[in-house]
Amino acid sequence: MNPVIELQDVKKIYQMNGVITPALRGVNLQIAKGEFLAIMGPSGSGKSTLLHMIGALDKPTEGKIILDGVDISTLKESALARLRGRKIGFVFQFFNLHPTLTAVENIELPMMIAEADKKERQRKALELLRSVNMEHRARHLPSQLSGGEQQRIAIARALANDPEIILADELTGNLDSKTKAEIMQFLLRLQQERKMTVTIITHEPEIAAYAETVIRIVDGRIAQGGS
Amino acid sequence: MKLADIVRLSLNSLTHRGLRSWLTILGIIIGVAAVIAMLSIGAGMSQNVQSRLSGFGADIITVSAGSTRAFGSGGTFTDRFQPGEPPFGQSSSNQSSSSTTSPTLTNTDLTAILSADGVEATTGIISGRTSVSYLSQSVTITVEGVDPSVWNTMTTSTVASGRLLESGDGMSVLIGSSVASGMFDQNITVDSPMLISGKTFTVVGVLKESGTGGFGGDDRTVFLTMDAARNILTSIDPSVFTSIQVKATSTDTVDATITSVTNALYASRQVTSDTKDFTVTSPTSMLATITSTMQTMTFFLTGIAAVSLLVGAIGIANTMFMSVMERTRLIGILKSLGTKNSEIMKLFVMESGIIGLMGGLLGVFLGFIVVGIISEIGFNLMGLGVRMAGGTSTSVAVVTPQLVVFALAFSTIIGIVSGLIPARKAASLQIVEAMRSE
Ligand SMILES: Nc1ncnc2c1ncn2[C@@H]1O[C@H](COP(=O)(O)OP(=O)(O)OP(=O)(O)O)[C@@H](O)[C@H]1O
Ligand SMILES: [Mg+2]
Repeated sequence: MNPVIELQDVKKIYQMNGVITPALRGVNLQIAKGEFLAIMGPSGSGKSTLLHMIGALDKPTEGKIILDGVDISTLKESALARLRGRKIGFVFQFFNLHPTLTAVENIELPMMIAEADKKERQRKALELLRSVNMEHRARHLPSQLSGGEQQRIAIARALANDPEIILADELTGNLDSKTKAEIMQFLLRLQQERKMTVTIITHEPEIAAYAETVIRIVDGRIAQGGS
Repeated sequence: MKLADIVRLSLNSLTHRGLRSWLTILGIIIGVAAVIAMLSIGAGMSQNVQSRLSGFGADIITVSAGSTRAFGSGGTFTDRFQPGEPPFGQSSSNQSSSSTTSPTLTNTDLTAILSADGVEATTGIISGRTSVSYLSQSVTITVEGVDPSVWNTMTTSTVASGRLLESGDGMSVLIGSSVASGMFDQNITVDSPMLISGKTFTVVGVLKESGTGGFGGDDRTVFLTMDAARNILTSIDPSVFTSIQVKATSTDTVDATITSVTNALYASRQVTSDTKDFTVTSPTSMLATITSTMQTMTFFLTGIAAVSLLVGAIGIANTMFMSVMERTRLIGILKSLGTKNSEIMKLFVMESGIIGLMGGLLGVFLGFIVVGIISEIGFNLMGLGVRMAGGTSTSVAVVTPQLVVFALAFSTIIGIVSGLIPARKAASLQIVEAMRSE
């Protein structure tokens, strides 16, 4: 197996006003290409921190993160930005949409950042908008959308640049069970049809059930599953 | 990110902040408008003076009695603008009020000047203000007595109709263009009779407009032969001239001629540079003094205006800092989507640059309005007596295209520079931390 994501003894220690918080205490993990992985664990155990490390949003205090065979600590800022923009699609716990751009513009934003052709990115944004059944809300600002609608826009945005890896942090947090199921089916299709590598964080066993592999993080360490 | 998209995102953010963006822009608008107004008025005034003084021949030197060093080596403002009425509408009595103790110019001086190097011709002039009537309307006008045989060779004025004075003319007058039309209700034409101090004169010629009207040039003057003028301006001693006009042999050597005339007068009047009782000026030397005075003034006023521009720049920096703080989360989002630090910088610098450019554009616009108003008021306030209408008018303020371009470039640069530090701060934010902030 050739892992697309590999973590070697990753540690993250936050230090704020002299208070030292070890969030990750040495994580070893391999995620295969096309794998559907769910991360579970109690609140404050370090799940989000781990996902941020994988997504190159933050740097580990110690250890290595290897994406597609490249140790990302060797990459420069601009190369990291490129990686975040094109290889990874992030869906955050709090959606994190651009507040003054419309729904369709939010989906267009990663393609704008990646300097895609304007016509092409508008076409694709509409296509993605349709695929999450949100075409009737194209011109709405995030503040004019419900939580579930914002979530769907966030997912569409994560797919804009055809990333290899989808990272999602509690994406079904406050949704009703019908919407949850829809979104999970959607992710499952992406993984199966487009061979995307999907990693999600969840508290809910029924969501984790969609994944092929489930790992549990407790107190900054993998307590169960993983490698 | 492409430049067009950076512009688009910057505009998006500016328009979503609405009133606050406008208030920041307002700071720049006021600063730019003030600078534009000050510089334009400065340029306008110096253009004004130049066009007025161009009515005097560049090779003509004026000698007048009395001396003051208030303006350096030259004379006072009023001295400089003889012959004629003094500038800025002051009441004019200095020419005719020479008391016995005041220094005077006489034929002796004329002879002395004529023998100086570089002098081609010289003539004495008397002038004073007196009541002139036409069709029973009386106006107080500057009346000048000249020797036509010499004066005609020196003047830069030409006739619009009729002819110049001739030596034999007794009861003939030559009138300036403003006298002919404007100063009296009825226009005066050649062959019309005019009453000066109770004596009837016939108009033999009307001069073309010289543009020197405001400063007492030919336009607002009535010219008579010397003998006729002495009969009217009786308060002037018969042996005394109000001023002496000297024509230099060449425009290039005017300065040398000024020196030789001055030295000749030192000798004949038996004075030294310390006890000097006369003033020698040329249009060029007047121009230099006035221009430098006005430049100093313009510089000073522009400096004050520049301070308001600086305040505007601080306003931009402040707004941009606030904007970075408020959008910390958004910066994190943009970075998480692949925006490079350098692009985050560009976004914020673009925003502050747009604020600067907008402020510049609207400031230039407001500056134009202010300049327009000041021009309108300026004519009345300064008593320059030049009409706005018609192609012959002179402006109080001039907005040059260069000034507009400069103002736009400068305000944009101010915007960019004020945005640099906030932008750098935005670019250096940590992604995860930024996204956690509210
Ligand atoms: N910037 C930070 N500074 C200091 N401590 C931090 C910081 N970010 C996270 N932590 C701490 O690190 C630990 C792990 O945080 P993390 O957000 O990864 O937890 P989590 O597993 O995602 O929890 P949850 O399920 O509630 O989202 C927590 O104890 C948290 O308080
Ligand atoms: Mg979390």
